[in-house]
Amino acid sequence: MLGGRLSLGQVIAAVGAIIVLVASFLDWVGSGGVSGGTVTGPGGASVTVPGVSGPSFNVWEIPGSVLDVFIVVAGVVALLPALLAFADAAEEFSFVSAATFVLGVVGILLVVAFLTVDFPGEGAERELGAYIGLAGFLVMAFGGFRAMQEEVVAGEI
Amino acid sequence: MDANRLSQGQLIAAISAIALFIISFLPWFGISGGVVVQGVGAVGGSTNFSLWEAENPLDIYLMIVILVALVPAVLALAGGAGDAPLAPFATALLAGVGTLLILYQVFDTPGDADRKVGLFLGLIACAGVAVGGYLSMQEDVGGERY
Repeated sequence: MLGGRLSLGQVIAAVGAIIVLVASFLDWVGSGGVSGGTVTGPGGASVTVPGVSGPSFNVWEIPGSVLDVFIVVAGVVALLPALLAFADAAEEFSFVSAATFVLGVVGILLVVAFLTVDFPGEGAERELGAYIGLAGFLVMAFGGFRAMQEEVVAGEI
Repeated sequence: MDANRLSQGQLIAAISAIALFIISFLPWFGISGGVVVQGVGAVGGSTNFSLWEAENPLDIYLMIVILVALVPAVLALAGGAGDAPLAPFATALLAGVGTLLILYQVFDTPGDADRKVGLFLGLIACAGVAVGGYLSMQEDVGGERY
């Protein structure tokens, strides 16, 4: 059903959007916490103290961040062709592939900036979710670029 | 350089982008509060934050919007307007999303901070960039140039 309506680029972009949306619910920022150890008391008695992990935040929990809203907008735009195909709708938007590419590239820049120069909090740690989100935006941008090229080849632009 | 090389949309987008850059250094958020110091009494104080001082990826995003809006104008002034066919669309799209993000910050300020004048002026300037980008797209379709 979908294979006939969606180009390979649109499918790749939709997969990238799903990766980013799922990653937004994983931890992006962690506060490190305290590592465990063994405490030796008087008389040689020792007690093993377990490590305590600090609080972690996903994109939705980072205070004051607009990354969550951007991820939703970019995700919806990238998923639009697949959603229309699922709904069997006749509408087709010529700008979606270009928009997916542009939003994907800006998403890459935002997450790279987030991981490097704009990381919130002192002593906080970068968590896996941020890297998966970055990978998702890379896939989304590649899919959007490929979909644009496929549209040019098909003579739709 | 001849400003007549710019279309009306490019001119609006470029002027709005420059205004947005200047506005980004005005106070966008503020924190006000008071503490009681023993022997001194209540001491009030407030701290304002520009866009760049607030811990928020919005500064990076709006910087990208400003650059994308200025690129077509600079290319047009340099006589190479045809080198960035995606630029008007990218300007309209990114500034439109940027307007949405600033609007979101108006209603959901970070850490319940106060809204300052920069936030509202930034919203207007970003909307101006979006309108300029949209007009530029229309002019590209119609082939109009001033």
